[in-house]
Amino acid sequence: MIQVRGLTKKYGAVSAVDDLTFDVQPGKVTGFLGPNGAGKSTTMRMVLGLDRPTSGKALVSGRPFAGLAEPLRVAGALLDAGATHPGRSGRNHLRVAARSNGIPLSRVDAVIDQVGLGSAAGRRMKGYSLGMRQRLGIATALLGDPEILLFDEPMNGLDLDGVRWIRGLVRDLAADGRTVLLSSHLMSEMEQTADHLVIIGRGRLIADAPIAEVLRGARAGGTVRVRTPATDDLAGALLRRGLRVHPAADGELLVEGTTAETVGDVALELGVAVHRLAEEQHSLEEVYLDLTGDSVQYKVSPAAELTGQGAR
Amino acid sequence: MSAVDARPVPAAAATGRPGTGAVLARAAGAEWLRLRTVRTTWWCLLAAAVTIVGIGVTAAIDEASGPADPLAGLPATFAGEFGVLLGQFALLVLALLAVTQEYASGGIGPTLQWTPRRGVLFAARVAVPVVVATAAGVLLALGADVAAWGIAADLTLPAGDLADSLGRVAAVLASGSALAVGLGFLLRSIAGALAAVFLLQLILPFLLQGIGVEWMRDLAELLPGSAAIWTLIGEPDMTAGQATALLVGWPVAALAAGGWSLLRRDAG
Repeated sequence: MIQVRGLTKKYGAVSAVDDLTFDVQPGKVTGFLGPNGAGKSTTMRMVLGLDRPTSGKALVSGRPFAGLAEPLRVAGALLDAGATHPGRSGRNHLRVAARSNGIPLSRVDAVIDQVGLGSAAGRRMKGYSLGMRQRLGIATALLGDPEILLFDEPMNGLDLDGVRWIRGLVRDLAADGRTVLLSSHLMSEMEQTADHLVIIGRGRLIADAPIAEVLRGARAGGTVRVRTPATDDLAGALLRRGLRVHPAADGELLVEGTTAETVGDVALELGVAVHRLAEEQHSLEEVYLDLTGDSVQYKVSPAAELTGQGAR
Repeated sequence: MSAVDARPVPAAAATGRPGTGAVLARAAGAEWLRLRTVRTTWWCLLAAAVTIVGIGVTAAIDEASGPADPLAGLPATFAGEFGVLLGQFALLVLALLAVTQEYASGGIGPTLQWTPRRGVLFAARVAVPVVVATAAGVLLALGADVAAWGIAADLTLPAGDLADSLGRVAAVLASGSALAVGLGFLLRSIAGALAAVFLLQLILPFLLQGIGVEWMRDLAELLPGSAAIWTLIGEPDMTAGQATALLVGWPVAALAAGGWSLLRRDAG
C-alpha cells in the first residue's frame, strides 16, 4: 500500500503538488491521471524519496522509502526509461541494481526472461529502442519481487503489442495482490486497465474513486441532444424547468444535467414534435477532459459531488 | 510471459534487515560494478597508463642517451612523479565521471531508487572512485619507475625513496580525485566539473605562476594544483604544512559542499 498524506511540493511560489492525500490499495491497478504538468511525476518522485516534499509525507508499506535498506524488495518503479548509462549493457544495469540490494544474480536472468528482453540484454543500452528501454525499466522494477510497483507513463511511445503486454502485466501484478500505481495519459488504455482512478489537476486532487463510479457519476449528469422544429418553444419550456439549454451548431438543442425521459416528457406536455432524442455517451476521455479541463475552476468539491461523495 | 509465473522469492528479506555496514558494502560493490561495466573507465585507465608510463619511459630514455654525469645516482622515482603530474588528469576524469555521468543521463534517479539512503550512497560514491584512481595512479607510477630504472642504468631505485615517492603520488591522487568527486556532486555537470577541476588543478597554478605578477603568484599558492605540483616535484616554493593544508582543505571543502548537495537537494 502507498499512503500519501498532505503531500505538497512548491517551487518558489508555484505549487507543483498541492496538499495531495490518497491511498493506493493492494490488489488493484490504480490509474494516476492528470494533464501534463499536473504533478503526477513529481508525486511519484516524492513517494520514492527522489524529491523532498515541502510538506506532507508519503509512505510505502508504512515506511518512508528514503530510509529503506533494501528498497527494491519493497517497491519497484519505472519513472524514466531513458535514465541509464548508454554504454552499459542491460544485463549489467540489472546486475548493479541486484548488487545494491543484495538480490541473487539468478533474479537478473529471471526478469530478463520475464520481460522478454532476451539476447538484447547483452547489448549496450545506447542501441535500445524505446520499447526495449521500457522492458528493461520494468525488469528493474520487478527485480526484487516487490509488493508495490509504480509505473510512470509506461505505455508512452510503445507499439500496440507493447501496450497490450504492459496491460496484461499490470493486470497480473494486481491479481497477485500487489499494489500497482500506473500513470498514463492514454485514457482508452486506462479504461481497460485500471480498477481505480486518482485524478489530479494542477497538483490538486480532483477525484479518487473506482473507475466505474467515475463513469457513472459523469453519466448521471449527462447531456441530452434533441432535434425539434419548435426549437424556441421547447428551449423556453426546458429553461422554465431550470435546465441549462444551449443550441448546437446544427440547430439541435443540448440540454445539460438531465435525461432523455425528462426532455421527452416536456416535449409531450408542450405538444411539439421531436425528430431526434439522444443521451450523449461519455467516454472516460470526455469525463477526464471535463474534470481536468479547468482544474482551477473545478477544485475538489464539484468532483467529489460528481463521484458520489464517497470518493474519500 | 506473465507476472504470476512461479518465481523464486529472494529469502534474504525475511531474515531481517541488513545493518548499515552491509548496506554500505553493497552500495560500494554496486559502485565498483558501475565503474567496471562502462568502457569510459577503461579508456581513462589506458590514457593514464600511456601518459604516466610513457612519460616515465621517455624521461628514462632521455636520461640514458644524454650526458650521464649530472644525474648519476638519481632515483628513478622522478619518472613516476613527472608521469603523474600530467597523467593524473585521466584518473581525475575517471573519478569525476563516476559522479557526473549520472546527472547527465538521469541515471541518478534509478541509483537513488536502489540506494535511497543518501549518506550511504555518498560514502560509497566517494570511496570507490577515490580508491580506484589512487590505486591505479600508484601502480602506474611504480610501473614508470621500474621501467625507467630498467632503461637507464645510471638511475637507482632505493626502497626508501620508492616508498616515499609512491606515498606522495597517493596523496596527490587521493586529494585530486576527492576534489573532483566533491565538485561533481556540487555542480552536477560533466562540463562544469571538468572545467573547475582543470582550472584548479592544472591551468590556474601554471598560468598564475607563469605571468609573474606578485599577487597572482600569491593566489596560485592557494590553489590545490600548486600543492599537488609541489608534492610531486618540489616546486613552487612552499612548506610541507602549506601543501598538506591545501591537499586536505580543498577536497574536504568540496566534499562538504557536494555532500550537502546530494543529501539536501532533490535528486536532480
